[in-house]
Amino acid sequence: MIRMALFAILTGIIGAAVLHIVIILALPTFTGLDAYTRLLNEDAENRFVLFDAKKDTAGFNNGDPYLRVAACMFSVDDKPVHLTAGSGVPLWSFTVYDSANDEVFSMNDRSAAGGELDAIIASPQQLASIRKADPDVISQSVLIEMPRSEGYIVLRALAPTPSFEEDVENFLSDADCESYE
Amino acid sequence: MFRLPFLVALALVTAFGLGIGSTVKMLDASAGFGAIKLGPWVAFPEAQMPDADPYAKSHRARAGKLLLGSAEGLTFHAGVDQDGKPLSSYCTYEMRGQTPLARFWTLYTANAADEVLDPGPELPSAFNAWNVLRRSDGTFSVVISSSPQPGNWLAVKRGRPYRLVLSLLDTPTAGSNGVLEIDMPTLRKVSCS
Repeated sequence: MIRMALFAILTGIIGAAVLHIVIILALPTFTGLDAYTRLLNEDAENRFVLFDAKKDTAGFNNGDPYLRVAACMFSVDDKPVHLTAGSGVPLWSFTVYDSANDEVFSMNDRSAAGGELDAIIASPQQLASIRKADPDVISQSVLIEMPRSEGYIVLRALAPTPSFEEDVENFLSDADCESYE
Repeated sequence: MFRLPFLVALALVTAFGLGIGSTVKMLDASAGFGAIKLGPWVAFPEAQMPDADPYAKSHRARAGKLLLGSAEGLTFHAGVDQDGKPLSSYCTYEMRGQTPLARFWTLYTANAADEVLDPGPELPSAFNAWNVLRRSDGTFSVVISSSPQPGNWLAVKRGRPYRLVLSLLDTPTAGSNGVLEIDMPTLRKVSCS
């Protein structure tokens, strides 16, 4: 009886190992807690939603006490997305994530022409036609190719002292991520 | 008569118990492989990348945080001191030295779920590259304690566990693999009460 029980436990341990691997590999697709899925609850389609120091209903906040964060959801199914923002903050940076929460592209103000943010996010086909229609576009906009059609942008601006709060809020609320015509 | 069902049940309980338990424990304990460890400081520069390992992907899917992109910066966490002992809110620590090359850095305390901790109204809860007081050679020393300290005092609440979060913004550290060149500040225990 004891030998049988040990055999059952051994079977269980092997099963546990298999289950562990299956859960780890499958988890990213069904948690419902990942940033993309939770951002769907925000009213962030093609507009930036600014976060607060306190968590909002979808559970997002600034995190770092000196950073102010905004996020925008987009889809390049129909049209490319034009991402624009001004300057006037000590440091800004953004990252484009796809719907699997993988980083597609990230940059900060040091690599932007004139310190202003101007980027076009598009599918490979749309990028080809944008380049064809206007070969000069590359001199003013950063072109970002999306491997998947859905994604989100996280835009961050730095407020090292309280006196920057107003500038940073203006910067983030003036940022746009509308369809590119 | 009940032997076979009992054995099957035993195998199933072991499989599901161990399988789910080990997964949850693993995901809570670490943000995946590929960590940079520099003394007490730990960072995951690849956690948000498409080629992150499966544990990192599962961890970020459960945590659901808006991670810093590779051009944005790199976040280091410290839950232990220089000797590897867990940080205690009953002790005083001194963080000393310099940060790696970065345009800006921020330092604050957070709980295990990465939420910013508030030590209380009017108490210093965070520092950054601009407001920290430095010595003439550019190094700084921040004292982390639940009781007031001269100089740079980072307040923590007595009896509440915490860990330190140091974010380097726009740093070459995030993109490079030359981690051996990085000098992180040391974190030494001063006293306990």
